[in-house]
Amino acid sequence: MGRNWKETDVLVVDQPELNMAERLYLPILDGLRVTLKHVVSPGRRKRMVVQYPEQQRVLRTETYRGVHRLNRDEQGRVACTGCFMCETACPAHCIHIEAGEAPWPDREKYPIKFEIDELRCIYCGMCEEACPVDAIELTPEYDMVGRSRSEMVFDKEKLLAVFDATKNVKPRKNPAITGY
Amino acid sequence: MPRIIIDGQTIECRERVPVLQAALEAGWDVPHYCYHPGLSIVASCRLCLMEMKMPDPKTKELAWSPKLVPSCQTPVRDGMEVRFDSPLVRENRSHCMEYYLLNHPLDCPVCDQAGECYLQDYSYNFGNATSRMVDPKTKNPKKDVGSKTWLYQDRCVMCTRCVRFCAEVAGTAELCVTNRGNRAEIDVFPGIPLENPLQGNVVDICPVGALLDKDFLMRQRVWMLRSTDSVCPGCSTGCAIGVDHNEGRIWRLKPRFNPGVNDWWMCDEGRFGWKYVHDPRRITRAMIRRGADEERPDWQEIPDVLRFRFRAIEQQQGGKTIAAVLSPFMACEEAWLLAKFIRGIASEATLVVGPAPVVGGDQCFPRTHSSGGNGNGDGAPPADKARFVIRAEKCPNRRGVERIVERMGGARLSFAEFIDAAGKGQFAAAWISGGSPTPWVEKPLVQAMGKVGFVLLHDILPSDLLPLAGAVLPACAWAEREGSFMNHTGLVQPFEAALPPPEGAQRDGQYLYALSGQVGLYRAETVRAMMAQEMPEFAQVHEAPAAAEHAH
Repeated sequence: MGRNWKETDVLVVDQPELNMAERLYLPILDGLRVTLKHVVSPGRRKRMVVQYPEQQRVLRTETYRGVHRLNRDEQGRVACTGCFMCETACPAHCIHIEAGEAPWPDREKYPIKFEIDELRCIYCGMCEEACPVDAIELTPEYDMVGRSRSEMVFDKEKLLAVFDATKNVKPRKNPAITGY
Repeated sequence: MPRIIIDGQTIECRERVPVLQAALEAGWDVPHYCYHPGLSIVASCRLCLMEMKMPDPKTKELAWSPKLVPSCQTPVRDGMEVRFDSPLVRENRSHCMEYYLLNHPLDCPVCDQAGECYLQDYSYNFGNATSRMVDPKTKNPKKDVGSKTWLYQDRCVMCTRCVRFCAEVAGTAELCVTNRGNRAEIDVFPGIPLENPLQGNVVDICPVGALLDKDFLMRQRVWMLRSTDSVCPGCSTGCAIGVDHNEGRIWRLKPRFNPGVNDWWMCDEGRFGWKYVHDPRRITRAMIRRGADEERPDWQEIPDVLRFRFRAIEQQQGGKTIAAVLSPFMACEEAWLLAKFIRGIASEATLVVGPAPVVGGDQCFPRTHSSGGNGNGDGAPPADKARFVIRAEKCPNRRGVERIVERMGGARLSFAEFIDAAGKGQFAAAWISGGSPTPWVEKPLVQAMGKVGFVLLHDILPSDLLPLAGAVLPACAWAEREGSFMNHTGLVQPFEAALPPPEGAQRDGQYLYALSGQVGLYRAETVRAMMAQEMPEFAQVHEAPAAAEHAH
């Protein structure tokens, strides 16, 4: 199967020769210097550590990529049109949609099922970028727990509930695009 | 072969084809909606217009004509010079695309055609990024034109391919153009819906998302589907099809261009006839009865166990008491392997060709308009003059299996004779292959099998034979197997496996391969090569051309 490789297709690249210092492992000292700097400056270390959960970091709510939500349109219906763009864009294959004919006269298609496997997701935000109606968005919410893997597969209702819980923290981005 | 010059390049093309066809075949990407090589030419979409050199009326010298001509309506002439790559042609295309998109709803996210839509492709390649339309777009609700088809009129580009298909290929002419100018619409006549048995093709030939398949509607996006080349098992025509599948499931079947067999088309019976593949009642596990126990052996041990059973019967009761029914739903390779196995056990064993279901008569198209409404009346052409025939024989491989049984020689019986003989207690062991999507086991067969000591049932769906069977082997649906079918004209057409076998099952070819004493993985091609040594007709297979004769 595939193409037949010729000898000339293979490019052989030699590793660069090590110089004297490299052969004596001296560049390691460079790294050790950075480590030592952190060890001996307690002020710096203090700034780094956040005593979670008593302390919590201040997040940039606009750009932080936490758990997903499915936005509602102005009539409270799921804004998603079931176009599968997020599922197509998703590099982790964590979105699963089943679409069907919408029960509303003004809409053509809607998701009957919309599931995101939050454990499989890599929180890259590509789904948000791909969405033509800004229906799927990532929220600043990051502490979520579940007792099983199946519990961490969020279905449509749960994703809509995330929207209801976070719409005050992060309003819908651009309702003008969708027209509703 | 005429030679023509396109954009300064000389190409050779077939005789008497339109310039558009010649250009498409030579690799030019010429936009077109209304042109389809299987339909008459109307030159209405104006996208394929080209510049052509014509004699000047005054000087009689060849010069580029100031007027563009439709390339789909201009037949090739030796030495003619045309060009597509000129400012005038490009300008025409972009203006045309602007008109096409005037009232287009741009609802690609919810449109099923997105991804295989020529409005998308052409507006990307030849159109403009913005629209100058300021008025509100005309909204045109979707119409329920037939039991299997939706018409989304606002996405339509009025290429009239569907209208021509119904008039010329189906002959039933249900679709028509109503109104004129920018109010033109595709519609059906009141009370006469689109109900011809070829209606699925109008969805295929629609270059945009106007005609959509109700069965496939909103199920999947087309870019998520993978297409596997296959052959339709619905009747003995053997249409070349693509099985579009994803996540181990078939979502739709599409015809592939296969000149002389099905051309560009397929019937609805075949198109929607795949549902049984995902039937929850399917037999997916092998079973061997030992006394009152039902054992579920591993696939590794099954060949040995079965060989042992048949050998024991051969030694105790003689080879004449063994029979095998080869189903016309089996691929040629599988039938041959099974015949080899049975004859390897006992050279005097009987081979039987299973029943080939026949429903009604051949349906030939186009039916004449006068035959009325839904084309169920007379007026059909004879089969040899028809543009498309749905065969009455609803199995793909009767001819192939018959040929194999014939070539194997030895004891043969027809299916009726076999039932008779079995009813008289002549057989001690019988291998019964089924595989029909419709119930095929009838009472006489069940009664006769009651007299047979060891019945091996090799079938896809449960039947009355199941309780009688001493052993059960699951048969896979055609989409899960690879092999070849011999169609009614004797063409051997190979098909590939689109899906894995259902959980617990193994491909028929694989266990038959092991049963016939071969080691390793079953590949239809290898088996065909072995068959060809005895039967030269299987040396040559007929494959549909890889590149379609037209772009879409």
